[in-house]
Amino acid sequence: MQAQKELGKKPGQNVSDRRVDGWWWLVVTVIGIVILLAAAHPDPYWRIIRFVSDGVLVTVGVTSTAFILTLIIGLITALGRLSRNKLIRWLTTIYVEVARGIPLLVQLLFWYFAFPSLIQSFGHWLHYEPLERYLANPFAMAIIGLTFCYAAYMSEIYRAGIQSIPKGQNEAARSLGMSHYQAMRYIILPQAIKVILPPVGNEFISLLKDSSLVSVVSVADMTRRGREFMAANFIPVETWMMIALLYLVMTLISARVVAWIERKTQTEER
Amino acid sequence: MKQQPIIHIDNLHKHFGTTAALNGVDMSVYPGEVVVIIGPSGSGKSTLLRCINRLENFEAGSVIVDDIPLTTAENINAIRTEVGMVFQSFNLFPHLTVLENVTVAQKVVRKRSKPEAADIATALLEKVGIPEKANDYPGQLSGGQQQRVAIARALAMNPKIMLFDEPTSALDPEMIQEVLDVMLQLAHEGMTMVVVSHEMGFARAAADRAVLMDEGIIVEEDIPDVLFSHPKKDRTKAFLSKIL
Repeated sequence: MQAQKELGKKPGQNVSDRRVDGWWWLVVTVIGIVILLAAAHPDPYWRIIRFVSDGVLVTVGVTSTAFILTLIIGLITALGRLSRNKLIRWLTTIYVEVARGIPLLVQLLFWYFAFPSLIQSFGHWLHYEPLERYLANPFAMAIIGLTFCYAAYMSEIYRAGIQSIPKGQNEAARSLGMSHYQAMRYIILPQAIKVILPPVGNEFISLLKDSSLVSVVSVADMTRRGREFMAANFIPVETWMMIALLYLVMTLISARVVAWIERKTQTEER
Repeated sequence: MKQQPIIHIDNLHKHFGTTAALNGVDMSVYPGEVVVIIGPSGSGKSTLLRCINRLENFEAGSVIVDDIPLTTAENINAIRTEVGMVFQSFNLFPHLTVLENVTVAQKVVRKRSKPEAADIATALLEKVGIPEKANDYPGQLSGGQQQRVAIARALAMNPKIMLFDEPTSALDPEMIQEVLDVMLQLAHEGMTMVVVSHEMGFARAAADRAVLMDEGIIVEEDIPDVLFSHPKKDRTKAFLSKIL
C-alpha cells in the first residue's frame, strides 16, 4: 500500500516535501542587516528598536486579533452570499460591496471618530447616561475597522473556494441524506480550505501591512511609535529605514510560513 | 406483483428554461423490481432519475416514494436516506479515505457510532470486492474500483431503493463488468433498482422491465427481451438499431 502511495505522487513532489524552501536566505539576510546595524551603530539603531519594541507587540496583537475575527466573519458572510434565502444574500452582498468600496483609511477614521459620536447622540436621544458618555477604545475601534473591511475581501476568497468544488460533491452528500449544513461542514469546506489557503495567507500579509494605518487613530503601533521617535530626534532616514526593515522581517517570515503550509497541504493525501 | 408501488410518478413535468426535459411521465416501480431506462441523450432519463430524490425540482406532477410525497424539506431529507444514488462520475469524496467515504454519512445522518459504522463499511467493501483498499484515497483507485466504493457508500445507508445514473458510462471497457457484477448481485438480492444504462446484457440478465424514453416521455416499456427483440414502436426500433 505504501508503494502505491509513492507511485500516486506526481514527479518532483519529493523535492517540495522539504521543510525549508529556497527563500529563507532572504529572511536571514534582512534579520542579519537589522542585527548588524544595531550592533555597529547602537546609536541610533538600537535606540530606535528599543523605542518601538512595544509598538511591535501592538502591531502583532492588532493584526492577529483582526485576522482571527476576519476568518470567522468572512466565512459567515460567504455562507450568507451562497444562501438560498434571498434576504440574507441581499444583505451580505450589500455589506461586501460597501466594505470593499470605501478606502480602509476612511473606514478607520469613521469607526474611531464618527461612530462614537453617533452612539453619543443616540444616548442623548434616549436620555441614557452610559451611552451619552461613550468613549471609543482605540484598540477596539482599530480592530473593528480592520475586520469590517478585511472580512468582506475574505468572504470573496471563501466563496470562490467553495464554488471551486464540483457540484457533484454536494449532490453526492445530499443524496446520502446530509443537510445543507452537514454537506458544507463535512464535504465541501474541508476540500475548499486547501484551495483557499494560499490567498488567505496573502490576506494575512496584506493585513499586517495595512495595520500601519491604525497609527492615525491613536493606536501606538510600530508606525506610530516610529513617528514619535522621529518627532523627538529628527533623524528620518535612520528611523524609517529601521521601521521598514522591521516590517519586512515580519512579512517575509509570514510569506515563508504561508509557502510552507501550502506545500504541506498539497503533498498530503492525493 | 399486486403490491403498492414503492415509487409512484404521476404526470411529471420539468423544464430547463424554455426547453422541456420531462413532458408528462407516469411510472410506477414496485418493491424488488429492477427497471432499466434507455433512450437517446437529452431524452430526460437522467432528469427523471434525479427527480426521484429531488436533486432536480419539477414544475408539475407528483413523485411519491415509499408513501412519502416529495414536497417539504423534511420529506426530501427523509426520502434521500431511503434512496441511494450512484453517479456517472462516481463523486467520491477525494479528501476522505475509502473507509471514511463509506462511514461519513452513517455517522452524520444515521448517527451510528464510529466502530459500528466502520464494521458496516468493512462488510460492504468486502461485498463489492475491495476490502484491501479501505485506507487508500479515491484518487489512488481505478474507475471501476471507485464506482464500487460509490455503491458501497450508498448501500451503507440501508436504502430501500437504489438509483443508478449511467454507472458504467465513464469507465474503461475492461472495468465495466466488475461494476455490473456488483449490480447483478444486488438485483438478485431483491433490491429495488432504477438504472439508466445502455448495458443490454445487464438489462436482459437482471431487469424486470425496460423503458424507452424520448423527448421527455416514455415511448414504450416491456420485458427487456421483448422490448429489445420485438419493439412495437418505430421510435424504439430506430433507437435500438443505432445502439445494437
